[in-house]
Amino acid sequence: MLFRTLLIAAIIIVFYSLAKWQKLSVELSLLAATIGGALAGSIFSSPPPAEIPRHLVEGSFTYLDVILVFFTATLFITIIQKSGGVDFAVRRTVVRFYRARFLALFLLMVIVLIPGALTGAGSVSLLVVGTPVALALKGLGVEEEKIPAILFILAGLAAAAPPVNIWAMVLCAGTAIPYVGFELPLGLPVIILGTLTVVILGRRKGADEIDSFLEKITPHPGMNWLRLLLPFLVFFGLVLAYRVYPFNFPVLGLPLEFLIASLVALVLSPVRLNLIKVASETVSKLLPLLAIMVIVGMLQQILSASGVKGLISYSVLIIPLGLLFCLLPVIIPVSEGVLTYGGAAIIGIPLVWYLNSLGYHATIVISGLSLLWPLGDGLPPTALIGRLSVMVSGYQGKYWQFLKETWVPWLIITATGMLMIIFSAKLKFLVTG
Amino acid sequence: MKKVSSTFKITASAMVLALLVVGGWPLYRHRASSMEVVCGPGVTEILMLSDFLPDLRNTAADTPVFVLSGTEPGGSALIIGNTHANEPEGLLAAALIVENAVVKKGTLYVIPCFNRSASLNTRPGEGYPVYFSVETPWGKKKFRMGNRDASPLDQWPDPDVYIHFPEKQMLSYLDIRNTNRTWPGRHNGMPMEQVTFAAMELLRNHKVDLAIDLHGAETMFPVTNCIVAPEKSMRIATLAALTVKAVEGFESHVESSPEKFRGLSHREIGDYSDTLPFLLEAPIPFLDQPTGPKSEQLFLDGRDEFLLSLSRRKKLFVSYDESGWPLERRVGQHLSVSLEIIKQYSRRHPGRAIIVENVPRYSEVVEKGIGYYFQNPATAKKEKVITF
Repeated sequence: MLFRTLLIAAIIIVFYSLAKWQKLSVELSLLAATIGGALAGSIFSSPPPAEIPRHLVEGSFTYLDVILVFFTATLFITIIQKSGGVDFAVRRTVVRFYRARFLALFLLMVIVLIPGALTGAGSVSLLVVGTPVALALKGLGVEEEKIPAILFILAGLAAAAPPVNIWAMVLCAGTAIPYVGFELPLGLPVIILGTLTVVILGRRKGADEIDSFLEKITPHPGMNWLRLLLPFLVFFGLVLAYRVYPFNFPVLGLPLEFLIASLVALVLSPVRLNLIKVASETVSKLLPLLAIMVIVGMLQQILSASGVKGLISYSVLIIPLGLLFCLLPVIIPVSEGVLTYGGAAIIGIPLVWYLNSLGYHATIVISGLSLLWPLGDGLPPTALIGRLSVMVSGYQGKYWQFLKETWVPWLIITATGMLMIIFSAKLKFLVTG
Repeated sequence: MKKVSSTFKITASAMVLALLVVGGWPLYRHRASSMEVVCGPGVTEILMLSDFLPDLRNTAADTPVFVLSGTEPGGSALIIGNTHANEPEGLLAAALIVENAVVKKGTLYVIPCFNRSASLNTRPGEGYPVYFSVETPWGKKKFRMGNRDASPLDQWPDPDVYIHFPEKQMLSYLDIRNTNRTWPGRHNGMPMEQVTFAAMELLRNHKVDLAIDLHGAETMFPVTNCIVAPEKSMRIATLAALTVKAVEGFESHVESSPEKFRGLSHREIGDYSDTLPFLLEAPIPFLDQPTGPKSEQLFLDGRDEFLLSLSRRKKLFVSYDESGWPLERRVGQHLSVSLEIIKQYSRRHPGRAIIVENVPRYSEVVEKGIGYYFQNPATAKKEKVITF
């Protein structure tokens, strides 16, 4: 079985490489790899040839919910942007805070952390507040390539922050550990690491550019704080209402919450907007990202049906413990880059059981791992948060150039996560509840 | 950007459409399919879960409740299968009880497909087969392979975080569709909260003494091959575990139900009713992450080279060898442990005793196979065949 699974894995890699060699996009290359894997697997009846179409269709629905959240959140922020709200917010924020630079950076960090912490999705942070924060950072004189780097790291930390951390929740659900006591093990490192990130990457580049920046930002005269903030208040109000009144408030789900907030933004916009046009522009803008989500789901399905997913999990588990600790900083982010949240299930669940059986504290281990997974959202093939960071910040440079800028916080976060895992037993005092 | 020709666009769209139809059809058929159970000699009444909460009537969540009453009064027990429809050992064990058991004293309530909506769901991204079949003397008997959670077609959207009623513990958003996280349920809650609420109504209204929830768990999961019980059920669980080990020669240790982990049957049934709850976990290698292809064969025989290698490296929580962990062992364990729990309870509470006969035990199921005990729906009387 090992030989045939390795062979299927090799064929998947060959198909991906050939497609890239033919200069196909990441999405089409992944699709080619998926079909290659399915055909190779069908030689060994894993999956049987007649089952391939079913697997492809079923897999394409894996991330349907995430796709809906991406679309509706982007629609929301596009309406805010087109109504002049983003320009307005940035101008006011920069004018108010640019003299107290550290405070301004800290506040912007908190603004990015909140949506992701509430929803568990760094993408929501970027889609909701990414563009205005990017502009504010520019106004504060932060270097252009460092802006998406800051957004990427903060969005990742936002996703890891309590109260909602999807990696931790997936692991808790899979390992039958209650999702309690994560406030400090997740909250403390997120705040410290976020602050370090904005301090390290947010240094001023040369002279103050505030005047020339403000000249470029001319918000619509009809825009005001009420028109800008009300749609956000509606969105966060709906999110919080379920938290406060979980048994009386209906479950709306993030897509509908974003849609309601979008409609409020549309009504309050001082600029007349065509909803259909904005929605279709949003779909066009998001198409590569949505395509990736559909195809990664298909790929995961084929990897599982062919046994390659099991091989990945098995390979991690047979690594000796010392070597495993050395490799985790690579394995965990790469698993996220390939499988997104699937990595938490495939590698994370057996890993937590294994470490737990050796006396490591499960809650701290999960918290440490949760700091490493978001880093993988900048890695191909999916690079979800990385690509979104580039998109919302309007960065025009090369993708790898922006990613290179993240290396210092990346190392600090990796070291923090690994130390939490290795010394989890000594850090269990952080677990409350 | 390179311009794409209209011909290419039309061809690509047609191919995608064709793929959707060809690939989507088996998924549609899966949801439209039914499973059959033939009522055995002991079935005295067939209720529906909606009899305990009418809001469930005519929904995909409604499911049959088989009642097997004895001629003598006594205690009562509820047996639940397919709480997680990707762990169908419980479904098979419960179906075997319905088709074979004769109750002499007391009453058995059996719900073979507790989360029916989950059994109509598949598991995107996991590459599972959509059906599995067991060999019987009269041919193959086919069952749906379902998902852990209810279908989003029946309960959607999910919240961004699930807040458990009534303890307010935050759980993964997916768990709002998991009927082993929604106990004790709410009459006006989400459909899966209604399913567990209806079951709680059954337990409370009929003063049921025992509730046995049948599951499967990974071989790498520490809580596997065991009986999970809260404090109040612990003594009976321990006696049952010791007895099956001594008499029938298989291991099923006892695990304590954690007080801080909410929504599980073994915790909430005990806390919100007088019933003694037990949750049985049989090892199911198919669910483990480090396995080969997720095939029907792996589900049936539980044999996997990766797991064998991990077992040799002492990374599994159960003994595992070349023979794997076949379905017959898993179902046989569930039957024997359930019968033993009922027996131990009956010994300690003679006035509330439940006497069940004609249910095969572990060694019989392992020797003769599961299919040996299933009746042929094609030759059974029509009114005896119940579909769900």
